[in-house]
Amino acid sequence: MTLSTESMDGDITRVLLDGRLDIEGAAAIDLRMNVLAGSAKFLLIDLSNVSFLGSMGLRSIVVPAQAVRRRGGKVALLSPVPMVEEVLKASNMDKVLPVFHELDAAVATLR
Amino acid sequence: MIASAMLPFFEGPGLPVMPTEESQDLLVLDSRLTELSRVQSWAEELADELNLNQKTRYAIRLCLEEALANIVIHGYRSESGHPVVIRRWFAEGTLFFAIEDEATPFALEADAAGADAQEPASLESLTPGGNGIPLLRHFAGSLAYERLDGGNRLTMGFPVQPF
Repeated sequence: MTLSTESMDGDITRVLLDGRLDIEGAAAIDLRMNVLAGSAKFLLIDLSNVSFLGSMGLRSIVVPAQAVRRRGGKVALLSPVPMVEEVLKASNMDKVLPVFHELDAAVATLR
Repeated sequence: MIASAMLPFFEGPGLPVMPTEESQDLLVLDSRLTELSRVQSWAEELADELNLNQKTRYAIRLCLEEALANIVIHGYRSESGHPVVIRRWFAEGTLFFAIEDEATPFALEADAAGADAQEPASLESLTPGGNGIPLLRHFAGSLAYERLDGGNRLTMGFPVQPF
């Protein structure tokens, strides 16, 4: 699992995840995700290259998202592949974290 | 020896009959999360042999990870040195995995009444974690839990749908 970031207009930090967000993948990104959550105002988590998401991976998304929200920021998820989106739905995570498939729509919500 | 019958929160056609030792594959693990990679490779081999589609492969990977994480983290409290035995077999169009441990009953029983994912009121009110059982319920074709004499057995079935 790799993580890279991209600064976008409007104070948006786009986090691009790549690989499997399983137990091992979650452990690989937790620290960096939490660091990002400590400074980002608007966080866009791009899941388009995440091929697997389990409950530990969900935790790696939820904990930083809560931190951003506590500071008055916003978080959105972008372009999960169908099976990853099914995990988001089965866990009801999509009810509290907006999921978008179009970048423009995600950016508009965050701004 | 089975101490209690299938618990009501598990769904499926009933306890699948486990075949004899000679006809099933078996993997013995230590109670460490790092053993997951062995399990996944072992499951992938079979998935290749059966030419399983991507959706079924994903479901198997997810359920094995959730089940083993529950055993190691909750059942054995992240203590290594305890056995986890996994058997796999194919019967009537379904691939089964039975996972046995010698741990105390973990969250599965405690979560019996609320095993479905509860709709959270807000992100802030969400308790991170606790999604393992809802995910198992959603992705496994069938689930059966038995409390054994000194352990647990979780049997997960996946209908096989080749390409």
